[in-house]
Amino acid sequence: MNALRKFFAEISQYPSAVVGLILILGLVAFSIYTVVTLPYEEAISLWRGDENVWYKTPKTAQPKWINWFRQDDVPETFWLNTAEGQGTKTEEFSNGTNKIFISLPFEYNSPYFPQEVTIYFTSQFTDKEPFVDVKVITPTGEEIRIDSFAVGHKHTYRFSQDQKLQRRLKGNRPEQGIFMDLETEQLQAVPGTYELQIEGVAFEENSTVDAELVVYGEVYGWAGTDHRRRDITIALMWGAPVALAFGLLAALGTTVTTMIIAAAGTWYGGWVDEVIQRITEVNLILPFLSILIMIGTFYSKSLSVMLVAVIALSIFGGGIKIFRANFLQIKESPYVEAARAYGASDIRIIMRYLVPRIIPLLLPQLVILVPTYVFLEASLTIIGLGDPVLPTWGKLIREGIGNGALLQGQFYWVLQPAVILLITGLSFAMVGFSMDRIINPKLRSV
Amino acid sequence: MPKDKVLRIEDLILHFKTRQGTVQAVDGVFFDLRYEEAVVVLGESGCGKSSLAKAILRLLPRNVERYQGKIYLENTEIMSMDDEEFRKNVRWVGISLVPQAAMNALNPVLKVGEQVAEPAMVHLGVSKPEAVSMVKKMFQHVGVPEDFINRYPFELSGGMRQRVAIAMSLVTSPNLIILDEPTSALDVLTQASIFNVLKRLKKELGIGFILITHDIATSSELADTVAVMYAGQIVEVSDAYRFFEKPLHPYSQKLMASVPRLHSSTEPEFITGRPPSLIALPKGCRFKERCPFRFEKCDEDPPVFQQEGRQVRCWLYA
Amino acid sequence: MAESTLESPLPVVTPKKEHDSALLRVAKYMAVRLVTMVFTVILGLYLTILIANMGGYVDQIRRGEIRDFVQQQVRNDPGMKNLSATQRSKIIEDRIVNAEKRLGLDRPFAIRSFAFLRNAVTLNLGFAEFITADNGSRMVKNIVLERLPSTLMLFGMTNILLFFGTLFAALSLSRSYGSWLDRLIIALSPMSAAPGWFYGIFLIVIFAAYLHVLPFGGMVDVPPPDNRVDYALSMLKHLTLPALALALNQVAFAIYNNRTFFLIYSSEDYVEMAKAKGLTSRDVERKYILRPTLPTNITNFAFLLIGIWGGAPIFEGVFNWPGLGRTQLVAAGLFDTPVIVGTTVIFAYLLAITVFLLDFVYALVDPRVKIGSESRSS
Repeated sequence: MNALRKFFAEISQYPSAVVGLILILGLVAFSIYTVVTLPYEEAISLWRGDENVWYKTPKTAQPKWINWFRQDDVPETFWLNTAEGQGTKTEEFSNGTNKIFISLPFEYNSPYFPQEVTIYFTSQFTDKEPFVDVKVITPTGEEIRIDSFAVGHKHTYRFSQDQKLQRRLKGNRPEQGIFMDLETEQLQAVPGTYELQIEGVAFEENSTVDAELVVYGEVYGWAGTDHRRRDITIALMWGAPVALAFGLLAALGTTVTTMIIAAAGTWYGGWVDEVIQRITEVNLILPFLSILIMIGTFYSKSLSVMLVAVIALSIFGGGIKIFRANFLQIKESPYVEAARAYGASDIRIIMRYLVPRIIPLLLPQLVILVPTYVFLEASLTIIGLGDPVLPTWGKLIREGIGNGALLQGQFYWVLQPAVILLITGLSFAMVGFSMDRIINPKLRSV
Repeated sequence: MPKDKVLRIEDLILHFKTRQGTVQAVDGVFFDLRYEEAVVVLGESGCGKSSLAKAILRLLPRNVERYQGKIYLENTEIMSMDDEEFRKNVRWVGISLVPQAAMNALNPVLKVGEQVAEPAMVHLGVSKPEAVSMVKKMFQHVGVPEDFINRYPFELSGGMRQRVAIAMSLVTSPNLIILDEPTSALDVLTQASIFNVLKRLKKELGIGFILITHDIATSSELADTVAVMYAGQIVEVSDAYRFFEKPLHPYSQKLMASVPRLHSSTEPEFITGRPPSLIALPKGCRFKERCPFRFEKCDEDPPVFQQEGRQVRCWLYA
Repeated sequence: MAESTLESPLPVVTPKKEHDSALLRVAKYMAVRLVTMVFTVILGLYLTILIANMGGYVDQIRRGEIRDFVQQQVRNDPGMKNLSATQRSKIIEDRIVNAEKRLGLDRPFAIRSFAFLRNAVTLNLGFAEFITADNGSRMVKNIVLERLPSTLMLFGMTNILLFFGTLFAALSLSRSYGSWLDRLIIALSPMSAAPGWFYGIFLIVIFAAYLHVLPFGGMVDVPPPDNRVDYALSMLKHLTLPALALALNQVAFAIYNNRTFFLIYSSEDYVEMAKAKGLTSRDVERKYILRPTLPTNITNFAFLLIGIWGGAPIFEGVFNWPGLGRTQLVAAGLFDTPVIVGTTVIFAYLLAITVFLLDFVYALVDPRVKIGSESRSS
């Protein structure tokens, strides 16, 4: 405990380490929050996403905080659903018919046009479909007649697909036309309060119509959306526990195993040591990523298989030399000699003397190793060997670049995961480097 | 300054700062050295002896805090020289050094002969072949076979390396050589032969030595003057004969009493306690905690008193 | 000075060896290393074969080859022109069975793998399924060797420049311990946490996608310029971002590492002795700090190169650099098994040669090798 307190006192002298520690704690908290609020199954199914899941979000929308940095705001995405009590809906029964009046008013203050405007109707009836008449009232009081049609159980009306409406709006695309000043035909949306009015008639008792207006803006959510309308925050959130888990497990697994191998090699010496040296040399010339590509392409891309493969390829790496040098030093020390003198078994000496001495030296290496594996997981995903179902940061980068995000200026798609990757990597690195300067005796004076 | 003195050190101070505080390693050292003489600086581990060697040669660590004093080398005050002048005129040509563990003092990737020849080429401007012949001569002086010139340090035994270090210190014919514990890492036989070499060199080449050591017994063979160092200070300077016969300072007396003698019935004594840490030095006489003759005056810093041509830093001789 | 009256010194205990010339010793050492390296390569390739063939993919390659070959043979045989299709098919199948038997494809896995191993070692890597080399050849060996120079140029040149640059920068930095530059380098050293390809993405976003001043990727402009000077300039332009990406990953860390290294080694006793001897600080740096640390630096460089080669696929993928790594990615996407395995084999060879060459340089700078002392502490 005392050592821990002393350690924290020392490390607080390094500002970068303090920042790093805070960031790491933040990431861990974020991961826990993610796993709790957005359980794995839910995240996977959301990410697999089909039309029903992501129908309310725009395609490749920017994050909404973009508007904080802009003079003229880009339109936001919003929806109003009478089935959830938004807007006003009045019903008037008389003579077996139900006159329905729906009013969905909304503020529109961006000079830019939305991507799309769509109304999703749901109706209840037995035989006869209700009939609706749709209008839009502009801020200037002008009434634009949209269309009239019958509404089945589910009906989708997309403004952009209405050719007749387009003609009536002087050839302008409907989702733009209804927001424009049609006199001047300036390509700028008129700000103010708009109202969607739906007058409907239902022909049965208990028959009714509900409408959901969705205005697809250019921004959505805290992280924007991708080409399949999926909310990027899901991948940003789930990327954290995946990255941390992979990074920590790989780093831990590799370091501990390497340490044990090095300990066995130096202690038993002789042919054991020789064999380990040979294996290390062979491992040196095996091209790491190429072998992973072979394994991923020929066998399985699942994350757990990759984790095992990565550890297997790493345990005989350069770390062995460092551990070996240190172990050799400890092995020659007097108290180990004393232990042998009193007849301690080899295992006991390894476990009780060699290993505890090496753990302080091991910790900085472990921490510094974590970012390597975090980035490795991302790189595997980017080159196509990623886990097929998991939404991770690497996935975002891959899909972003693959769908032309860089060419189309959708930088947020690639930059957000990249920045959070960078933060993760740097925070571990900063802490690890500072730990090294504290723990490694040779670095004390420099 | 009298002509026959090759070196005079006055009030040399070297402090350096560490995480735990300021280490006052050398805190007011003084002594003189005549030509062809050997001064032995005696002291226990931790009294600042090695720092003394570095202080004289201006080999300062990165964390030096205070470095002052006066050192006269043949009438020239060298502390006030700038670094480049010091490098050219004092280092090795004036004063050379035989370090403690020559294992580490030799560059592992350079041949031994090259390292010995280096100072000659740098300071005396001799050509390589000339330097090599000088090296051969030096090797002869110290007893190293000639063909070792092309060997690497790791091929030599400890004793050989130390001899090479001595040869290296001679190559520029300096006026004075500082030897820092030259034989503490060697076995007794090699020690004896090294000291024989030193004695011979003193006689034949007329070089002055400053021999820094804790080994009273062996150094007594070489010493002409003895300076005793305790807790960063020189507490007694005396000619060797009178010192070994009858030391003045209580610490010196205790030191002499701790040396086992071959033909004596008295048991060697030991000194109770430990030397003070160089960081938290007590006020007053630094030896007072362990001194059997302590009295009230000892709580004040004692100045150096003259006593029949000897110097003692002790209130007993006021 | 008087001649010393010298008695013979005490007997000397030195590991006295017969001095062969240094050249001979180095040659012997390299011969041993060569043999070891050959074994290592064979073992490594065998492992590669095992990994590849666990799913029977190398078998597949061979079977495909045989089928192709036999079909070609029968098709081009004028004596068979008159036979019916079914008769030809039967001949083809018979020949295939015979060929497979002859080549041992019907033998147990262990024996088969040795045949494949022999192929891999001799670079008989088969024919690609989908990819062709620029010169039209379908042989994997040609496809792969064609791509090798680009990879070498990208990583080799850049890394050598970085290595020497950072070495000397670190040496001069170690002189100004505690200065603001020193502290800046220390603060920036964790930048090595992010790999080169990652900085590459940022650089591409900034300089290619946003500012439009540098290309997105590739090695030369398309279409490539005719004359050599323009071609070289075009390559330099395309090298800028990759080189910068590698530099961002390495420079701060390498300078920090080396500078720390030099600072630690400058507190060695022999460095102090050199200063005490009155040598100039340039001499001290060169002969007493740089030279003794050269063996360790070489070893570190070897590990660095291996790390970079090992990650070549993704780096080349991000920059669309037409080298060995990207070829493997393309092959993986197309599931072109022979090329996938072939590139791994060539990479393994590349790594082995790199290690061997660096061992050679090590032998030149570490005198213990030249003299032949027993245990070289690794």
